[in-house]
Amino acid sequence: MANSEAPEPARGRRVIVLQADFLFHKLAVLMATVVGITLLAAVAAIGYDSWPAIKTFGVLGFLTSSQWDPVSRHFGAYPFIVGTLVSSTIAMLLAVPVSFGVAVFISELAPGWMRQPVSAAVEMLAAVPSIVYGLWGLLVFAPAFANVEPWINDHLGVIPGIGRLFQGPPMGIGMLTAGIVLAIMILPYISSIMRDVFIATPVQLKESAYAMGATTWEVARNVLLPYTRTAVAGGIFLGLGRALGETMAVTFVIGNSDNLSASLLMPGATIPSVIANEFTEATSKLYISSLIYLGLVLIAITLIVQVLAVLLLGSLRRRPGGAA
Amino acid sequence: MIKTKAILATGGADAPSAAAAGESRPEPFVPKISVRNLNFYYGKAQALNNISLQIPEHRVTAFIGPSGCGKSTLLRTFNRMFELYQDQRAEGEVNLDGENILRSKTDIARIRSKIGMVFQKPTPFPMSIYDNIAFGIRLYERLSRAEMEARVEGCLRQAALWDEVKDKLGQSGTSLSGGQQQRLCIARTIAVKPEVLLLDEPCSALDPISTAKVEEMIYQLKTEYTVVIVTHNMQQAARASDYTAFMYMGEVVEFDLTRKIFTAPRESRTEDYITGRFG
Amino acid sequence: MIPLYARRRAVNLFASSLMFAATCIGLFFLAWILWTTLKLGMTAMHWDLFLKDTPAPGNGGYGLRNAFVGSLILMGIALLIGVPVGLMAGTWLAEYGGRSRMANLVRFVNDIMLSAPSIEIGLFTYAIMVDPMGHFSAISGGVALSILMIPIIVRTTDEMLKLVGGEMREAAIALGAPMWKVITHITWKGARAGILTGILISLARISGETAPLLFTALNNQFFSTKLGAPIANLPVVIFQFAMSPYENWQQMAWAGAFVAIVFILTISVCSRLILQSAVKRS
Repeated sequence: MANSEAPEPARGRRVIVLQADFLFHKLAVLMATVVGITLLAAVAAIGYDSWPAIKTFGVLGFLTSSQWDPVSRHFGAYPFIVGTLVSSTIAMLLAVPVSFGVAVFISELAPGWMRQPVSAAVEMLAAVPSIVYGLWGLLVFAPAFANVEPWINDHLGVIPGIGRLFQGPPMGIGMLTAGIVLAIMILPYISSIMRDVFIATPVQLKESAYAMGATTWEVARNVLLPYTRTAVAGGIFLGLGRALGETMAVTFVIGNSDNLSASLLMPGATIPSVIANEFTEATSKLYISSLIYLGLVLIAITLIVQVLAVLLLGSLRRRPGGAA
Repeated sequence: MIKTKAILATGGADAPSAAAAGESRPEPFVPKISVRNLNFYYGKAQALNNISLQIPEHRVTAFIGPSGCGKSTLLRTFNRMFELYQDQRAEGEVNLDGENILRSKTDIARIRSKIGMVFQKPTPFPMSIYDNIAFGIRLYERLSRAEMEARVEGCLRQAALWDEVKDKLGQSGTSLSGGQQQRLCIARTIAVKPEVLLLDEPCSALDPISTAKVEEMIYQLKTEYTVVIVTHNMQQAARASDYTAFMYMGEVVEFDLTRKIFTAPRESRTEDYITGRFG
Repeated sequence: MIPLYARRRAVNLFASSLMFAATCIGLFFLAWILWTTLKLGMTAMHWDLFLKDTPAPGNGGYGLRNAFVGSLILMGIALLIGVPVGLMAGTWLAEYGGRSRMANLVRFVNDIMLSAPSIEIGLFTYAIMVDPMGHFSAISGGVALSILMIPIIVRTTDEMLKLVGGEMREAAIALGAPMWKVITHITWKGARAGILTGILISLARISGETAPLLFTALNNQFFSTKLGAPIANLPVVIFQFAMSPYENWQQMAWAGAFVAIVFILTISVCSRLILQSAVKRS
């Protein structure tokens, strides 16, 4: 593009210029192509390496079997799929309301001098590497949380119906602990998106609600949230994506058990945690292939979540009164 | 609704004679809002300079002046809207029915329920047309479904919008045209039965036909409300208002009956402005 | 009417307190995590950490030298691959691709890779490098990290280059300068601070990554700089030591976490300073 616009320099030089331009352009195209095909290449490579396991266990058989036994060489993904979904659900239930609170506090309630430092501090949570979350979760948070768990047993464990979720030995590690640590990790992602869109909401819209005598809470609930709901939902799904794929922090605190338990206080495992935990110990080709197959299942889960997100965002946009 | 109308006339205004009955004679001057020695600052910059002014009840008062003269700023002190921002502050008195709202212990939400405001750009809330009106009412009153529907209809009729939207009350407020949105915002504002209506350049984003409709509405609204309108459009001030304040550089240069301002201004700066010599 | 009003005020007060409490919860956990890492990391600090290599199990030795060096090597490889690829791809998007269909496809893929779980990147690298080569290696670890880096660099480069004003570019083209010279001499220079910030952010992101290294660089108890062999690295060492029963190993894990956090915070502060000084200049 633009290479023919040069005036008329010496003929020899023009050839060199053209070649350099040509090479630069081709190099850029090449790199962009490399970036463009990584996704396909990744899915293909992971699919290729899971082929032995796919051949042995099939698709439905792998997804529904809850037996994970390296000795008898039988592998099923069910407990890990459930573990991934449960730990992420706990994380979302905790992180979404807290993130909303943080975002409204920063955008509407906090005095001016406080906004910048508080935002920066919450965003710092995103800079802490997941290995540090894991280390802290295992050696500091879990022992402390073990002291809280008897209380959970006594108070939440006696509720009819959902009480079963909260009964179990106070070990500190387990599904609930993993969910809490995940919630802390995804908090900054969700809250910073919410904060940004709340701040970007047209000033006059907020002012007209305040001018009617609406309180901060009423403005947040009836004006800010409906106005920004698509972006807010997008932020929530971003957090969910992080929670589903998070590996190290979960591996440290979830207890790594391939037994499914009704109680959230019992150890469990997620797809990433079992891969991280067992990959280096995996001795047979089929074992490794099954772990990579788990990775493929995780890709499928995240893909399904993404599709659901797109559908939900579409329907949110069609409801009355969104921002464009 | 709180309708304590203790008319404590502050300052040297006319004595509160009989309430504004004859709208053709704007002479009986009952102050609804009286501003005294008001100074306003954006950070260190002073935007209003020792303003004193009285806004008559059940009349339309227009603030005119070149942009940046402080007319919107003055308007925004009447419902303490500036308080949403850290670096803005007001000193002095803004008395509503004799109570200084700047120093009032009364909750700000309550003061704002008596003073409605409509903004330059239409700002329909992100909800249905019906809920746009009902939102404000629900803040102050608990009505049955039928009562609420009647109220919503009444407000939309008053805003001359009912016929246009009666079949699509469930649709989003943003689906309306600009002029309709602005009338929706006015309907929403009068739904909470305020005593004062503040209009901040309500027509500057509208087409001429919508503008005419809004002006017609303003004229009818003054029987029930005290209306203050900020406008950069002098014809609009001349058409729609009873009193006009000409502001310049953060000061009220002249305040009088609109027809006097536009026919026989006392100040040369006022004359220069309305004859279009500057601004 | 008064009860309704009082109720609204009460609800507002209650909700505002909840929102304040939510903020306090977030800040509380941040403080808790930083404070423990700081306290335990500082007490575990010792010169030996930087001078000796990781000890054998059960032995009382103390050192992380091989892990620090290994992590630096891995980051170096990642930068060597990630910066040219990311920079050129981002440049293509902003300068040549524009709004074309291919450019949008590349952006779409890049956005997905940006939020892809790092463990999947590890499996991908395992499948394309470790499996064919038959053994874990430093080079595959570096490649895995570079795959994590590239999407960040592509995106910031794309966005920053688009911010550079068109007039400068047009003026240079009007002078007859060839496109590649315009890009390298004018637009890259104009967007220098933003691009550099993107690279620093990507470096901060990968410096704590553990999951992808588990299947690629693995770990090495000994000092090694061989690119074809497994190499020690800080995150995996922290992982293994934290899970171990030995007291001194857990201490070293804290020391390692402390160094990692200090490294990341230093990079973030640097990138912020670079951006600020760039803003001031322009």
